Amino acid sequence: MIPTAGAVGRVAGLVVVVTVLQVAGLSSLRVFGATPDLVPLVVGALALFAGSVPSALTGFSIGLLIDLLLGQSVGASALVLTLVGYAAGRYRDVRDPAHGLVPIPYAAAVTAGYWVGLAAVSFLLDRPSISPFVLREMLVTVLLNAALALPVFALVRRVLRPSLREDPLERQRRRRGPRETGPLGLRGLEV
Amino acid sequence: MGERAAIRRRRATLAVLVVASLGLLTVFFGDSAPSGLTAVQRGVQVVLSPIESGASRALKPFRDVVGWAGAVVTAKGENERLADEVTSLRGQLARIQTTGREVEELRALASLPRRAGYPDGVRTVTSRVIGRSPTVWYSKVQIDRGSKDGVALDQPVITGAGLLGKVTQVTGGSAVVTLITDDSSSVSATVMPGGSGGVVKPEVGRPNDLLLDFIDRGDRIRRGSMVVTAGTTSSRLESLFPRGIPIGRVRRVDSDEVELYQRVHIEPFADLRKSDMVQVLTSPPEADTAEVSIR
Repeated sequence: MIPTAGAVGRVAGLVVVVTVLQVAGLSSLRVFGATPDLVPLVVGALALFAGSVPSALTGFSIGLLIDLLLGQSVGASALVLTLVGYAAGRYRDVRDPAHGLVPIPYAAAVTAGYWVGLAAVSFLLDRPSISPFVLREMLVTVLLNAALALPVFALVRRVLRPSLREDPLERQRRRRGPRETGPLGLRGLEV
Repeated sequence: MGERAAIRRRRATLAVLVVASLGLLTVFFGDSAPSGLTAVQRGVQVVLSPIESGASRALKPFRDVVGWAGAVVTAKGENERLADEVTSLRGQLARIQTTGREVEELRALASLPRRAGYPDGVRTVTSRVIGRSPTVWYSKVQIDRGSKDGVALDQPVITGAGLLGKVTQVTGGSAVVTLITDDSSSVSATVMPGGSGGVVKPEVGRPNDLLLDFIDRGDRIRRGSMVVTAGTTSSRLESLFPRGIPIGRVRRVDSDEVELYQRVHIEPFADLRKSDMVQVLTSPPEADTAEVSIR
């Protein structure tokens, strides 16, 4: 991602909108006993489209905002989302995933990582009990986020597009060779 | 060279963010922490709470729609679970009600001998009705006691409410009882307390009604009077039905000027279609004789 003022503004706007939307809107929504979580989805989308540093910074910002807004342990969500965003971004840097459906496993993995990280940090800080109920909720949230991945990633991509150095999904489209045209017998032949 | 710098920058960014997070956590959980961070938290909450409030209000319809859809799915599953539960509870209720009715009937049967006028010295066999005709016009029921239990032909059968009929067929373990509504039945009876005597027969075409015939026109029969078995005193024929078993209550009296006798309509005490527990009077009362009974 090209770090212009516009790009930073767009990402900052995204951070605030997503945090408010999650805290004020989606958190009280129960689907199959769990809540869809936009936060790891957006961090994952940034990791896929912008790379490890922007996603780590975004994860830190969203995490800090959530911690401050909800009055919870300041730094806990920030730490987890930083690490998750960085790891997801590094995966993108190294593996260069470009398939059109890659947002789905990406979203699932980032959400699972976020939940596991939060559970670990909470366990270290507050020592809560990890119950089967929590595991079930985590699983449902991962599935819900996987279901929401394509539209959310598309939205984030649309927001980031003007600042992206390269779009992995666009690159994948370019990889497919141009269609051969011409008489049937000459297709694929060097003439 | 440039790539190495990028890697260093990247790692440095990560390290800074992690250290910042850990630092915030340390400060938050430190002894002197609350003042600064709490103020920041409050500030952020003050700034963002109006936005949150607006967003929450704006998203309410969406939440409601999703909540409604979720509720429909949940309600569907819950509906199935409740339907199963209702089925199970209905079965339990049926069993309890059946048992309750049997208990009531047995209690009534047990209390019957204590009624005034009930014949003394009668031995009984309590039995359960195990078969009956499904139609309204049936007049026979099958019981689960037979000759092995001391049940014999022509023995009277009663319920807790009153007279039911007499035994007309017996096997080792069961018996058939012909009800007093059968058209072959006739029972000598007395209207209490006046003592007017007559014969109780089924009313033609109304299987649940009884008719007390041969009551003199001069006798005054009141509606609601109780009708009991008469027994009678003739020594030529022994009564099948001992004296004093309740039969029914006078429903109405037809008094035709042309007829010699009054026709008294009786509503039987015994629920002839629903009785489940009955008693067979297996031995006649002491020193009681009869003149008319059942054919």
